[in-house]
Amino acid sequence: MNLATAAPTVLEKIAFFVLAAGVLGGALVTITRKSAVGALIALIATFCASAGLYATLSAHFLAVLQVLVYAGAIMVLFIFAVMIVSHDEEHPIALRGLFVRTAGVLAIGYLFYRTAWLVVRERTSDVLAATAPPPIPDFGNVAAIGRLLFSDFLFPFEAISLLLLAAVVGGVVLARPPQTRNDGGAV
Amino acid sequence: MPGHFYILVSLALFFIGTTGVLMRRNALFVLMSVELQLAAGSLALVAFSRGLGDQRGHVVAFFVMALAAAEAAIGLAIVVSIYRVNRKIDLATIDELRN
Repeated sequence: MNLATAAPTVLEKIAFFVLAAGVLGGALVTITRKSAVGALIALIATFCASAGLYATLSAHFLAVLQVLVYAGAIMVLFIFAVMIVSHDEEHPIALRGLFVRTAGVLAIGYLFYRTAWLVVRERTSDVLAATAPPPIPDFGNVAAIGRLLFSDFLFPFEAISLLLLAAVVGGVVLARPPQTRNDGGAV
Repeated sequence: MPGHFYILVSLALFFIGTTGVLMRRNALFVLMSVELQLAAGSLALVAFSRGLGDQRGHVVAFFVMALAAAEAAIGLAIVVSIYRVNRKIDLATIDELRN
């Protein structure tokens, strides 16, 4: 495939770096905050910024879905859970096994450092090089993704809808108060 | 922008999520960190599918989104029901299934 590599415009650069800073900064705030509500707001900002990154990759359908499903539906679920649990913790970092956890984080950090080094070394390859115009005109819009979902991916699509149904039923069963859990057969 | 910038952002995001899963002790924060990891995976899928000119990566990212919804529903239901029994969701002190 012959992908045209063109230098990104200044506007593209600004958009990318602002959105990437939003994603990474929001993620850092999310894992360091003590209050769960603040972390949730940062997580919503992270997902909105990553929706912007999807849009710069001309994945418009996914960008809209990211805002609707992630920043909308899933985060509302989290907010309800935070409202029910509402548990302020004194020591947000786990102290037990801190040495092992830190060693794990350092090992994974080294793995990601090596992977990043590999990605930077291979940056001129066909896959990682820039594509200024989208490869086909309707790349990533609703019609193209929908056509793919209902032709090649029909079985996984139905399977994932079954999974969602099972998750809804399981969530209702698990989150019911314990006293109403056992007398379901009396109805 | 060149694709490797997106992959680097995705790697950093996954690393932040992994750090959150390993270091936090509140179960809600661990679930949020898992969501960060899933978002990082989706970002890498979308970036590679742009680079390859293949929209199937978008479909897989769509499935990841549905999976994240299911995971959040079940995980939060488990957290809420653990909180009902133990009045705490501290992963360092929850070490028995029987109440």
